[in-house]
Amino acid sequence: MKISEEILDNISSLSKIKIDEKIKPKLISDLESILKMVEEMNKIDTSNIEPMSHPLDEANNLRGDIATKEIERDDYQKSAPLIDDGFYLTPKVIE
Amino acid sequence: MTDLTDFSLEDQIEGLSSKKFSSVELTSSYLKKIEEQNKVLNCFISINENALDEAKKSDLKIAKNDNGIMEGIPVAHKDIFCIKDQVTTCGSKMLENFVSPYSSTVYEKLFNSGTVNLGKTNMDEFAMGSSNETSFFGNVLNPIDPERVPGGSSGGSASAVAAKLCSFATGTDTGGSIRQPAAFCGITGIKPTYGRVSRWGMIAFASSLDQGGIFARSALDASIALENISGFDEKDSTSINKKAPSFYNEAKEEDDNHVVGIPKNIIENIKDAKVKTNFYESVKILEKAGVSFKEIDLSNIEYSLPVYYVIAPAECSANLSRYDGVRFGHRCENPKDLEDLYERSRAEGFGDEVKKRILIGTYCLSAGYYDAYYIKAQKIRNLIKESFVNAFKEVTSIMMPTCANVSFKLNSIQNPVEMYEQDIYTIPANLAGLPAISIPSGKINNLPLGIQFIGNYLNEGNILNLSNKFQQNTNFHNE
Repeated sequence: MKISEEILDNISSLSKIKIDEKIKPKLISDLESILKMVEEMNKIDTSNIEPMSHPLDEANNLRGDIATKEIERDDYQKSAPLIDDGFYLTPKVIE
Repeated sequence: MTDLTDFSLEDQIEGLSSKKFSSVELTSSYLKKIEEQNKVLNCFISINENALDEAKKSDLKIAKNDNGIMEGIPVAHKDIFCIKDQVTTCGSKMLENFVSPYSSTVYEKLFNSGTVNLGKTNMDEFAMGSSNETSFFGNVLNPIDPERVPGGSSGGSASAVAAKLCSFATGTDTGGSIRQPAAFCGITGIKPTYGRVSRWGMIAFASSLDQGGIFARSALDASIALENISGFDEKDSTSINKKAPSFYNEAKEEDDNHVVGIPKNIIENIKDAKVKTNFYESVKILEKAGVSFKEIDLSNIEYSLPVYYVIAPAECSANLSRYDGVRFGHRCENPKDLEDLYERSRAEGFGDEVKKRILIGTYCLSAGYYDAYYIKAQKIRNLIKESFVNAFKEVTSIMMPTCANVSFKLNSIQNPVEMYEQDIYTIPANLAGLPAISIPSGKINNLPLGIQFIGNYLNEGNILNLSNKFQQNTNFHNE
């Protein structure tokens, strides 16, 4: 699979990571070599096989939907880069 | 004078509880060695300033006979396990200053069993790497040969255990991140069955593959530590709701029923002749100890690497979307709008390897490619699991090398695919969710080599028993 600069810009935008122009050629070559290795998968016919999303059949042991006070908002927000009165601050979203 | 750090975990537990020495003495011995050697090895990102206080508390508990199973044992934690009110970096600039508001279950369980936390160990950034060269906090070196890598991603934990800077250490294994560094550093490393150890508070890389485990100096030591981090946790929906047995008892019992599978298609294709020779020499050692072997066919296993490099990046791209510069983690200076805040915070906070994997994952999950990559990989994953399930109808465990070679020199691998191939023998167990262990099996040019046993689901005791049998008949783990 060829990765064009257009494809790279698209996935960089989807993943919200700004890519430095200078590293684009090396990045494209790395991504292409990884995808070339990945495409080995096409050698095998999987037409009647179910996809497996999880190693265990018995996953999803869900606990009751009960609110706890185990972790308080203030404790969580101690690590936030910018807060005000319990709110997380971001640049203005709506003008 | 006796060096307490030379003692095995088993002997340290006995020595502490019978008051032959104190936890303060033991902890001080380790702290002194860390101070001397960490400057070179760089295996710790942070040292716990309260370690001696914790040791004092343990000594008081021992004096009152109120001690936990591992009371006073000094342990190192991979810096992927959150500890309340301590910095947890995951080897990344993104989390350089992140102080966790809660503790991981693995840490809690070890704390409750009495262990003393020495500090947090270095690792590849977000556990993505096989050499510990992607850490924001610099390379870790291999204590066996400081020009070489310790392996990764749990390279700091492996290096610390090998250099005897802690009694044992925690680690995580998504595609080999415990077993490969254990092999490179000449120690024992076990990744249990997926779901055996809670992932609560263990920073996520690829959630259907990540599993916590243990580095130790022998299978018996590993069995003691592993049973103390295992068990059901309602905070992790993928935790297995079954009580973990005493792995230590299972590792020690007489078991004459081992039938070990040799996957012909893999062993025949080992490229390095010395690795192949070592494998067969290890088989002979076990045969002499009464273990039987059987050739098996693990079909489609050769697709493990491509399958892994779709599934792991796909899950990583989703998991790492939480680092947005808003709620925690690195935030760029003066963002001009919200988009700029996200894009620059992530560009500055993540290193190159992490970015690469997020981009690959995003690509494989994007419109038009999802079926061709992600669903295709999930289907082959099913076939790989099926191969193992069929093999375990005939054998009790499967043996293969841990790595294709011994540790390599720093900066010697630049091609990403060549680096990914490091995990060619370890990835299959993660895809299937099976327990697997690496133990030292000899040396090539004075560099350690490991062999790996893969067990059936929830059968950690079996591979620990087999490993112990090997270690009872060899001395590689003490060299």
